[in-house]
Parts: sequence; structure tokens; C-alpha cells
Amino acid sequence: MALSGIQIYKMLPKTNCKECGFPTCLAFAMKLAAKQVELSACPHVSEESKAQLAESSAPPVRLVTLKSNGYQAAAGNEVVLFRHEKKFFHMPGLFIRVKDDLTSEQIKAKLAPAEAYEVDYVGLELTLDGFAVESVTGDAAAFATAVQAVNAVSHRPLILMSSDPDVIAAGLAAADCEIPLICAADGDNWEAMAGLAKEHKAALVVNGRTLDELADLTEKIKATGVEDLVLNPIGDNLSQRLALSTQIRRLALKKNFRALGYPLFVAPMDGEDIAYQSILAAQGIAKYGGFVVIDYFAPELAYPLLVLRQNIYTDPQKPIQVQPGLYEINDPTPESPVLVTTNFSITYFSVANEVDGSGLPAWLLVTEAEGMSVLTAWAAGKFDAERIAKDVKRFNVADKVANKRIVLPGHTAVLSGELEEELPGWEIKVGPREAVDIPAFMKQVLA
Amino acid sequence: MPVQIPKDKWPGQVRVATIGATEADGGTRTSVITVGGEKALPFMHFEAEMPYRPVIALEIKDRKPDDWSPLLLETWGEAMDAPGAWAKAAEAAGADMLQLSLSLTGVDGEPNTPDKAVTAVQSVLNSSGLPLAVFGPGQKEADNELLVPVAEATKGERIALGICEDKNYRTIVATAMANDHLVTARAPMDVNLSKQLNILITDMGLPLERIIMDPTTGALGYGIEYGYSVMERLRLAALQGDTMTQLPMIVTPGFEAWKAKESKVGTGVPAAWGDWLERAINWETLTAVALLESGADILVLRHPESVRRVRMAIEELMEAEELRLATGN
Amino acid sequence: MTAHRVKFDVIAEPVQVVTGTLLTEAAHEAGIDIAQPCGGQGRCGRCALQVVGGSESRSSVRSRSTLRLSPEDVAQGYVLACQAVVEGDVSIHVPPQEALERRLTTDRTVAEVQVPAGYDPAIDQTIRRVALTLTPPSMDDQTDDWSRLQTALRQETGIGELQVSLSLLRKIGPVLREGEWEVTAVLNLESRGQKVEGLQSPISNLQSAKLIDLQPGHIPADAPLWGAAIDIGTTTVSVWLVDLLTGEVVQQAAEYNRQIRRGEDVISRIIFASKNNGREEMRRLVLESINGLLERVVKRASSEWRVVDDQQLATNNQPPATNNQPPATNNQPPATNNQPPATNNIVKATIAGNSTMMHLLLGIPAESIRLSPFVTAVNHIPPLTAREVELAIHPEAAVDCLPGVASYVGADITAGALSSGLDDSEQVSLFMDIGTNGETVLGSHDWLVTCACSAGPAFEGAGVEHGMRATRGAIEEVWINSDTYEPTIRVIGDAAPKGFCGSGLISLLAEMFVTGVIDKGGNFNTSLPTTRIRKGAHGLEYVVVWANEGVNRDIAITHVDVDNLLRAKAAIYAGFTVLADAVGVPLETVERVLIGGAFGKYINVEKAVEIGLLPDMPWENFHFLGNTAVLGAYYALLDEKQRARIADIASRMTYIELSADNSFFEAFTSALFLPHTDMSLFPSVAGS
Repeated sequence: MALSGIQIYKMLPKTNCKECGFPTCLAFAMKLAAKQVELSACPHVSEESKAQLAESSAPPVRLVTLKSNGYQAAAGNEVVLFRHEKKFFHMPGLFIRVKDDLTSEQIKAKLAPAEAYEVDYVGLELTLDGFAVESVTGDAAAFATAVQAVNAVSHRPLILMSSDPDVIAAGLAAADCEIPLICAADGDNWEAMAGLAKEHKAALVVNGRTLDELADLTEKIKATGVEDLVLNPIGDNLSQRLALSTQIRRLALKKNFRALGYPLFVAPMDGEDIAYQSILAAQGIAKYGGFVVIDYFAPELAYPLLVLRQNIYTDPQKPIQVQPGLYEINDPTPESPVLVTTNFSITYFSVANEVDGSGLPAWLLVTEAEGMSVLTAWAAGKFDAERIAKDVKRFNVADKVANKRIVLPGHTAVLSGELEEELPGWEIKVGPREAVDIPAFMKQVLA
Repeated sequence: MPVQIPKDKWPGQVRVATIGATEADGGTRTSVITVGGEKALPFMHFEAEMPYRPVIALEIKDRKPDDWSPLLLETWGEAMDAPGAWAKAAEAAGADMLQLSLSLTGVDGEPNTPDKAVTAVQSVLNSSGLPLAVFGPGQKEADNELLVPVAEATKGERIALGICEDKNYRTIVATAMANDHLVTARAPMDVNLSKQLNILITDMGLPLERIIMDPTTGALGYGIEYGYSVMERLRLAALQGDTMTQLPMIVTPGFEAWKAKESKVGTGVPAAWGDWLERAINWETLTAVALLESGADILVLRHPESVRRVRMAIEELMEAEELRLATGN
Repeated sequence: MTAHRVKFDVIAEPVQVVTGTLLTEAAHEAGIDIAQPCGGQGRCGRCALQVVGGSESRSSVRSRSTLRLSPEDVAQGYVLACQAVVEGDVSIHVPPQEALERRLTTDRTVAEVQVPAGYDPAIDQTIRRVALTLTPPSMDDQTDDWSRLQTALRQETGIGELQVSLSLLRKIGPVLREGEWEVTAVLNLESRGQKVEGLQSPISNLQSAKLIDLQPGHIPADAPLWGAAIDIGTTTVSVWLVDLLTGEVVQQAAEYNRQIRRGEDVISRIIFASKNNGREEMRRLVLESINGLLERVVKRASSEWRVVDDQQLATNNQPPATNNQPPATNNQPPATNNQPPATNNIVKATIAGNSTMMHLLLGIPAESIRLSPFVTAVNHIPPLTAREVELAIHPEAAVDCLPGVASYVGADITAGALSSGLDDSEQVSLFMDIGTNGETVLGSHDWLVTCACSAGPAFEGAGVEHGMRATRGAIEEVWINSDTYEPTIRVIGDAAPKGFCGSGLISLLAEMFVTGVIDKGGNFNTSLPTTRIRKGAHGLEYVVVWANEGVNRDIAITHVDVDNLLRAKAAIYAGFTVLADAVGVPLETVERVLIGGAFGKYINVEKAVEIGLLPDMPWENFHFLGNTAVLGAYYALLDEKQRARIADIASRMTYIELSADNSFFEAFTSALFLPHTDMSLFPSVAGS
């Protein structure tokens, strides 16, 4: 169980010595509770407290990291069931599967565009994380050849899929990957698979159709010294998969059930249509997946999945922001006024809704204010004449309007003088203090 | 190794709401939709039965819209020229329900009028037996001016009238009460604001069973995570016993997704975005599926192919069976 | 129908009424007008009457409701006239209105200021007055005046090292001779820059001190030694005049901070101060406020003083003027001087105030306070003198600026934590300063956490259309009749109403909410049958006092005011809920809620709970302390141990930055409703 700040504080020396870099022991305790600092920063903590705190800070879901040639894909260390409770920490790796019945040339042709795939989303360059090679021939040599073909195209982490330890052994020998993921151990092969994982320092997927079976296997495998495990609860449909994944995460977090405290594997399904694959992967991303494998690469699918993953894994504790920029409301013309506000989403929504509701056209300049509301941003120096003027220039507002009128939020009337200096040639108007008064203002003052 | 499954027992339950009235109940609908009644988080069948499956609505308009994606114009074709025809086409595309959005102006640019709005709604009702939600153009005066006569002309049909917002709910709620309709209550992606609006509406005397809440969502890539979490939180609050959040949720992934450049535009976009149509469908579908799993009861879509895909997801997610603890059970 | 005889003690003749008649109706019959501000709904408790006689007499009256009456009241036979029906012959005592108001169980009145028990100036006080008799110089003894003074002091007190300022040094020779080698020295034992440890030890063990004043002649030992406790609030400045020997608070005064004209909140002031000559203007403005108040307390004390002391009146007929020109010790009356209240006789001032106010007072640049990462220039300010600060008191007077914690948690809060007793208790308590900056402290002797949320000045009566401070003419309580929507008001000082003070605004907001004048979102209901809800210059408003009833203008509360109040109360509620959450202490485990703020003398807890400003807890958990900052400054002024405690509080209080994540915003939105979006947090409001 996670301890509260006060509970941790009681185990600290209470000297307020400041050596940890925080002003008081309680401040440090709260940072510890939020897992934003390491206990080792405290030079005076007793051994007894150390032991107690270490126990409470052990991650309920083990962090498993695949590594390959400088690439890595990590999953686990999650602490919540719902992203709003804190955040989801490690985005699931997205992997594209190939089968070993393809020729090397076919494999290269299929994977080359996936390997090269890169798409821009809000300034981030998103890519896929690696590839999975599945043995369908059952032939070790064919599998090794397929692995080599993949490596000829990509140096990213690999998932090696077969239930035959000999096939996996051949794949491991051929693979150019420091920590690959073996898929998978089951009730029949687990000893051999665990041996391979141990020998090659690989992570290991554990298959099971039931929670009992999964827990049983992880305990046995863990006893052999292999700890980087990934669970694959086999479900026949979306409903079963959702139920199993939810229950595993719940047991790990709420019951601290170590036998299921591992990241989840989301396997692709054979023989389903592309539409179904996309839904399956989307569910995997939203609902606790750690390594998500899809059978099909196409930019029009990869892009939305990568964006979904990015969205679900954003930090919900950060202020909700909208993209700064010049927004058009009710088809503005060069004659329409420019209203300015900050990029805090609630502020933006209230202003945009009122302007929209007024039925009058306007430009809405949303400035970069680090997601703060108008007053907060102004207080913190993030919404001043200089910054507004900068964004007027950055978003080429002058090119869009003939009538250079800019309307400040009423609460920041004090900025009007300076803004006149910063924006020569512009008429600076002071709008109402509250968004709700915008329509009246637009009708009476700006009309 | 036997695993003890903790089953969440929630004290609260989402209320059941029915949109549409058949002849027997004083309306003219050939089918109605009933949503809500959840006693557990979405699709956790092993904890509690999910009595009603989530519903798919298709959005139609009272006239051919000026700002919809060419992909949608192509799909619906001539049906868009008349609301009745569009309603028929939407029913054929597999919708459980229709959501008619009234326009601010006509094709001629003239402001919409109460008469025109009533005619459009009646033509939809005459052309399709599906239950209906009617949303105003989203501007306070126009909404009130159009929705009141619509509500009066369709008394007893149990239409969902929208959109109530904190600054404009009294008129819509009053007319819904007077004419046996429901309302949709939209708050801007905030748990508290949703709840506050529900309280204000019930304080006017409209029973909770006649409110569907719209927590507002963003599309994939455009803030879906905020709506997603707000919905999860609203549903958790409802299950924990918070009366004022125990309402079914309606969301509009069609509107949101087709507003996004990814769906709307086919040219001048990065090659990495891939095929336009498939991308647009994925955009709408993935938005809808994510919201489905965070608690949506009514999903309003725009494209028939998205309806097919989301329906597929709903079918599978509704396959209720006991959670497999051990082999054999 | 049986007729019963009801006898009211204020009317000679009894009246006859039938069974089931309300006492209010019986009173009306008898010609007595019983006030029913709430419209006879049993909500306000203003119609309480006492049934005279024993249990038989009491059984002649059946009470439907005793809400608003304490168990003691009920035991004494009090009933609510609007809720009590006559069922037999009975005698009734009609208490005077003033006595009634005392009975209202939900009012929490500030306790009178008490001199701390066991206060001993000879142990606790850092300022000492010592009468010295020096051996006059002679041809045989040509020791210099300063050494002679030091020697005499060492012989008298054991203090070996004496510090002095140049300007005081200039006066030593003349004063020694004027007093004919009999002088009185005023010393500050807390020497510059270093703390004196263990003042409990006798004065003779001290090594050094600073000479603050030297006066000719021997001042009587029981003559007062003047000090001032000062709190600089963003909105209100308070000054207490204190006799350091008795510890008694002789006078109190407060007024709006004159900096308000340059901005209502600290941020505006910081920005103003950062431009052109703003910093100097800000410093001047707050000095004007403080110095004006010092003059006022001295003047008031002085007028009482003259009555008491005729001799004083004869010898000192000059008005006790403030003194902006240093130094002026020699314009004091000579040997018979028994220390009248005069600004120039104030030898020590202890100042509390938020960090911004402290910076602005001292002319220290405050920009860094508002900019990330929000640091002050200084939290622990070293000892200063009045001359350098330019306080219009004795120029050598010790000025002690109390220590703060962070940019938004200043010395007003550390002082408040002290005076509220928060830091001294095993119990977890919540201390909140309901002022402009809405600071909250949660904790016990073991730990303390604090946060600040910008509530705005609404609860101090500022930033509201018809707001005012809690002084004469302020409406401090409002009741609205739920049938007629007509208000009844209580005004401070029995004067014509001029505006609303903070407690009046809380009361008004609660009544408007309870009677449906506004909805839970704070929107006016325009469909009610009253002309008092109307469209004014600032949108919808509710008129509480018509122009012909008060000050020639309608006194109304506007929609904008309501929004301001909602935001203020939401910020404060959100502040302490987030704070409790951050440390993992459930609010319901908090045993005491200590409330400070500039509300005047009382707060109606029930109404503050009704609007969701205070948490829904048993009323006895609330303790209203008034201005805790100036009270803390007063304690520190008197007692070095208390001063050390404040320093300790400042160093161990953990500041929580509310803007670090979304939780404050969430809690704020949730509280931006009447009483709260989550009604389960307010069962008593939901149930009524």
C-alpha cells in the first residue's frame, strides 16, 4: 500500500535539516509519497525506516524493458487503474508482426516502411517500437532466417513468438537484440523457456487462459530466477480480454498480488479483418497493455494508434492546455476583431463558446501561457504585453486582419498601455472581465 | 495457484433512461432505446449485469451542411438534401437512433425559423421509426426559439432535446417538462460542471430519468484524454453513489472526429497520415471505442462504416460471461 | 375550542387565545410586535421568548422546532414564538432584542484580548527601562559621559557592552546634565543581529544591549512603556497600542491599506511596485496607513489618559502629535514625565504581514514573489529600527518584522498559527485566515502544512459594490423572509446602514440561497414576486436597503458581487480541502477549526456552512479568533519566548504549492456552487 505524506513523515528523522534539498522533512515526505524523489536523498533516515519505506515503494507492476541497439521499449511500474488518479507511466510498445513463412525478401518489403515510419504529432516524432517474428512453420532454421531478415531492416527490439523452445533458441541465437521478448511460456514448455530467458537475459511472455494458470506459471518461473515476465491472458473476444486485463491490474495494484504484478501482452488475432485489429489494439492501449502487437502495418492505422497512445499517456495532472494559435470563430473576415486569451483549456472554452454563441465573427488569439488562466498567467508573468505581442507576430495576426483591433481580457486592463507600445499601429481595447459578458461587449463595443 | 478475485461491489447504479415513445406509450416510434442501469464499470460483466447495451446514433441535419467533410457528402449523397431521406438512409445504415442537428441558417443563408425546424423534425419522424434527439444550432437565442416549437409539435414522442448548458438550460428544460421529452445536458469536460448542471436542471423539477448527460469529448488527438477521464470519473462517482452523476452519457465522437483535419481533409496533409478514407474511419471509430470503454451509453457517429465497426466492438464487449479464474469455469 | 390566557410580561393585560394559536399570533393580539426576519419559518431564532414558570407552565406551550436554541436555552424555557403553539394558560417573558442576539447559538464571537497569563515584563520583555543615578564628573574624575553612563548601567544591571546610535549619542551629554545625572535608560536586550538566548535568566547575566532612549530624570517604575503590534493585511491594516509593562492592549484601530488604490491584490501591487517609482510609492502608502493608525490609537489613548491624569493634562497640553521628523526625544516633558501615550514614546513595534506587504513596507523588490519559482527576497528579517523603516514612532525604537515561510505564506500566518495555538496542540487543527490571500494551516505540535489561495478581498468588504469594513454602519447580518423576499438587517453600532461587511455578505449570500433569490449556481431568479430583484447597472442585483432607508442610495448586492463571493468562498474551501488531501488527513478527523480574519467581532457559523465556506462540522468545533495576525504580533511583542516560537513555526511549516497540479483547480470548481457540488459534504445543509 502506498503511504501518505504524513505516514512517511513519521518515519523520517524530523530534523528539518534541509540536506535533502527540501525545506522540511514533511515536504520531503510528500515528495516521497508522490514518488518524485528517492529516499536516498535523506542522509539521516534510520535503517529500520529505510526497510519499511522500501517495502511500500516497490512497484506493484514490475518494469520490464526490452533493449536493442540503443532502442528500448519499457512497460510496467504503473500505480493506478485510472489515468486521472495520477498518470499512466510507460506507454505500451507497438510492434508489427511477421510470420516465418514469408521469404526474407517479403519480410523486408513488409517491414521496411514500418521501420522507416515516422509521423509528426504536436511537434513529437512518433515511431513504432519494434517487430515480432512468429514461427508458423515450426522450423528452427526458417525462424532464424526470418529473424535475420527482420534484423536486416531493423535494429529495434524483437519479440520472438513460438511455443517450441528449440525454435526460440534458434531465434535467440540469430537475433540482434540485447533484451528480446520471448513469447511464450505455457504449462508445457515453461521450464525450457525459462532456461532460455535466463541464458539470454531475455524477457518472457507467460501464456494462460485463466488467472490461476498465469499466477501459477509466474511463480514457478520466478523461482528459477527469471523475473522479467509479461502476462498474456488469452481472451477470445474484446470482452474477455478487457475483463482479464482489468482484473490483473486490479489484483496487482489493490491487492499487491505479486504473482500477477507484470505488464501485459496484447497479442494480435489471426484471420480477423483490419477494422477489428485496430479496435483490438486500441483497447490494448487504453486498457493496460504493455506490449501491443498488430498484424498489419499501414500509416492510416499506425498514426491514429500512436496518437491514441500519446493521448492516454499524457499527464492528467498538467494543466489542460489548448494549442496556442489564432483560432477562427464564425468565419471571421479581415474586419473582424481579435480577442486574446490564454491557452488554459477552460479559459479557452469559455471564451470560445461565448464568442461562438454571439454569432459574431472574431479571431481568437490563444497565447502560450503554460496552460494558466488569464489571472494566474498574468500573476505569474506569463501573460504580459511582451508575450502577447510576441504571439501576435508568431501567428501572423497582422496578415489576417485589416482592422488592427485587439481586445484584452478585462482583468488585465493594466496591460493596455504597454501593449500599445509593443504593438504600434494597433488599437488596444479592454474587454469584459468575465467571458459571459463577451457577446454583449461584441455587440455594443465592437460592432 | 488459486487467485482470489476481488469483485467491486458498488453502492450506486446508473439510472435507466428511455428515448422515444411507441404508439402504446403515446408516440409514433417503431422502436425506442433504453440505456443506463449499469451497476459496474463498462463491460465488467463478471461483477454485475450490464442491462442495456450502448447505443449508436447517427447524426443528420435539417439540410445539407456546408462544413462537413467531402467523404461524408459522398457517402450520404442526395439523401442529405432532405432530412426525411437522410433519416431513412441513416436507419438503413444500422443506427439505433437518430440525432438531428438544426442549422442556424437555411441553404439560402436566411436564418432558420420555427416553422422550418418543425417541418424538418416532422419529416424525420415520418420517414423513420427510430427514436430521435434534436439539437439546436448551439446559439442561445436560436436554440430556444427553435426547440420550443419543436418540443410542442412533437409532444409525447420522448425526444431528447439538446443542448442544455449552464448558461442556457431553463427554456429547454421547461419545454421538455411540458411536452414529455428528455434533455441532454452538456458541460465542458469537467466532472463538477457536469454535476452542477444536472443539479440545476433537477432543481427545476425535471426528473433525473429524463436527463442524458453529455460530458463533452475531444476527438482522438484533440483532447480525447480529457473527455475520457472525465467520463471515467463521472461513472466512478455514479457507482460510488453520487446521485447527480448517475445518468447515462451521450457523446458525439462523430462530430468531434470529423472536425479534425485528419478526417476532414484529404489533400495537403503529410504522407505519413496514409489513406484518407481509412484514416478518417479509424479516427471516428477509435475515438468512439475509447469513449465506449470509458462509459458512453449513446455514441453519435457520422459515417456508416464507423457504425459497422463500432457495432462490432459493442457486440463483442457485450458478450457476458464469468471471468475465467481457472480452467473449466 | 378551549380559550387560554397568555400573559406577556411587557403588557399589563393578558390575552385570550384558542388552542393551537402560535405565540407570535398571541403576541400580536397583545399588541407586541415580535420580529420575524425569516418570515416565521423558525430559521432565524430572532423570535425567542421565555416561558415563565415550572414544567406545568412549560407544558402549556408546544414547540414544533427548537432549531437555533441551545439545550441550555431550552432548559431555561426559551421557545421560538413562530414555532410554539399555545395549549394552556401561560406567562411569557419577552427578552430585550439585544439579549436575544446573544442567544443565537451559531454566532461565534471573538474573545476579548487577554493579557497572556503569567506575563512578567521583567522576564519576558526584551525592552527594559532602567533608572540610573550617575556620579557627576569632577576634576578628579574626567571620565567621558558615555563611559560614565555605561559604568552606571553595568553597576545597575551587569550589562557590559552597550550599543548606541550616533544620533542618540549626540544627546547623551545634554540629557545627563538636564537630569542632573539622574536619567532613565530604555534598553533593548536583543542586540542587533543576534538573538539573546534564555531571557528567563536575570538581566545581570546579559552581556550586551542596545540603548534606545535616554531621558532626564527618573521615570516612575509604573509609568507605561509603550509598544505597538501591527498587522499589515493586503486589505486591512491593524494597529494595537500596548503597555509593555502591564501587557495591556490600550487601544486598537484598523483601516484599509492605502495601497488598495494601486491594486486590490498582492500581484497588482507587486507589478505596480516594479515600475517607475512604484516601489517607493507603495512604501509611502503603507507607511501612511500605519502611521495614521498609530496617531489614531495614541490620540484615543491620550484622551482617556487626560481624564485619568489631571496632572498630565496640566503639564502636557500639546496634542500627542505624530512625529515624522526624527529625532525628537528632547521634546518630551522633563523629570515628572510619566510617559503619556505619544507616538514618540513607542519604543518597540512588532509587525506581522504577508510576505509581499513586508517587502513593500521595507522597500525590498518583490518581483520574485510573483514569478516562478516564487521566492521571496527575505523570510527572516533582521532587527530594524524605526528610523530606517520610517515608522513614526521613537526613531530608535526596535522594529521586529516577524518571519514568513514562503512567497504566499507570510508572517501574518506564522503569527496566526501561534496566536491560534495551532502549533501547541496534540490535536490536528485547521487554521484559516479568511482574508484576501486565503491562507490555511493544518497541523499540530508535530507537523504543520500550509497553503495560500487567492480568495480576493470580498470577505473584508472590499471589491464588492457596497462593501465596507466591519465598522459602524456596516450591515453584519441579514435575514430574508421566504414569502415576501423582504430583508431584515442588523447594523453595527446601531447606525443607518452604509454597506456590507464580510459577515454581512456571508449572511446575505446564505439567505439569498436558502430563500431561492439565487440558485445553487449563484444566478438570480428573476421570476420571484419582488421588486428587490432588478436589473441594475452591473446586471441583476438584489436591493437590501432602499435609498430612503439608509444613505440616499440603494444598497444592493450585484451578480458580480455574488460571483466574487462564490469565488472567494470556493478558493478558501478548496484550499483547505486540498491541503488536507495532500498530507492524507481526512477533513473529518480535524478536531478544531480556528478562524481568523477581519470580520469584525463575530461570524455566523451556520451561514458560513450554508454557503460552503466552512466545512460542515459540529458548530462547537469552530473557534473564531478575529485578527490572529495582530494577536500573534502582540504576543511576540510581549514575550521573547513567543517570538522564538514564531521563528520555530516559520522554519518548520511546510508550504504546499497549489498550482503544482490540477487538484486545487478541481476542488475550486467543485466548491464553486452553493453550498458545494458534492452535497454529501454538507449533510446539514442538504437536510434543511
